Amino acid sequence: MSDAQIPETPLFDRKGSIDGYRINKMAMALGDPANREAFKADEEAFLDRYKLTPEQKDAVMSRDWNRMVAMGGNLFFILKIAAVDPTPITAIGAAQAGLDHADFLKQRLGKE
Amino acid sequence: MAKIIGGVGTSHVPSIGAALDKGIADSPDWKPFFDGYIPGKEWMAEKKPDIAVVIFNDHGNTFFLDRVPTFAVGVADHYDPVDEGYGRRSIPSFEGATDLSWHFVDKLVENHFDPLVCREIEVDHGLQVPMELFFGRPENWPVKVLPIWVNTIQYPIPTPQRCWEMGKVLREAIESFPGDERVVIMGTGGLSHQLQGSRAGFINREADEDWLNNIANNYEKFRDMSREDYVEQFGSEGAELIMWLVMRAAMDDKVDLKMKHYHAPASMTGAGMVVLENL
Repeated sequence: MSDAQIPETPLFDRKGSIDGYRINKMAMALGDPANREAFKADEEAFLDRYKLTPEQKDAVMSRDWNRMVAMGGNLFFILKIAAVDPTPITAIGAAQAGLDHADFLKQRLGKE
Repeated sequence: MAKIIGGVGTSHVPSIGAALDKGIADSPDWKPFFDGYIPGKEWMAEKKPDIAVVIFNDHGNTFFLDRVPTFAVGVADHYDPVDEGYGRRSIPSFEGATDLSWHFVDKLVENHFDPLVCREIEVDHGLQVPMELFFGRPENWPVKVLPIWVNTIQYPIPTPQRCWEMGKVLREAIESFPGDERVVIMGTGGLSHQLQGSRAGFINREADEDWLNNIANNYEKFRDMSREDYVEQFGSEGAELIMWLVMRAAMDDKVDLKMKHYHAPASMTGAGMVVLENL
């Protein structure tokens, strides 16, 4: 792909894959029920197990989806964090669009 | 020789499966979407294929970033649904069309493709949902499956043109397979959606309609588009539509567009399908 950017559209490329590797690896592990239990029991300890940086930990623990994606968290992996909560995917969309959930549903998805 | 009985393009949005699991397929939000698939299901029941080739992408459920195959082909005798974070869905395991899979792998390599060949692997909603949309929720699936995974997650993803070339090899493999199996090809993904970045929630209804109207007999522009074009028109995750090209390329140059359906949004996605037959 060329380096030309499509506005407001980060592609998960080399940089994202390298930067987000630990967040994504931690999130991938939540596909295992035993890991989901460990995550729920002591989230910080679980994140430490995957050697997340303090910034990454903060983004995950505060469920700052926008920052997680900015730090290389790929949506398909971090959706497994959302599955534990559970957080609807539209709320993750709204956070990235900088809209509140109701406005996001209406403005972007055309739902009344 | 095995026979291609038709080609299907369809969305594989995970919330479709979740709606079925929760029993809300008849809710006002979902009914118009599912109703549009009834003719597709009837078509499939009437055509009675033996094997479904399903072209889809994994969504960070089966493949992690430690190894990312651009193309992977399943040669397993069965494929269980993978736990995507909500627990394993209670749908039947998928029986593998092992012989056709190995034959396809042979043909791919002879034609200078280099696939990852998977002997033991699970499948996510990318394969599950299209099967549910066209075969319902039977006790056992009435077809064996040949899964083809295309990387659409980590860049570089394959070019649309490469997907097209793979479709040509798929056709050659099916038509040279010594058997009388009836094969349906399901290209899946899309339609327009974007889940990441401040353009999240992007849906392009006009582009989606254009795709559904023209993928049958005016496909050249889609075949020739760049990956950037796909991302721009259909959204970053809408670029999954390149996987329909594998199906389309395996069909005749001119086809009969038997049916199409569009509904938006399904969750955050423009969703729909086409059913194609060779003339």
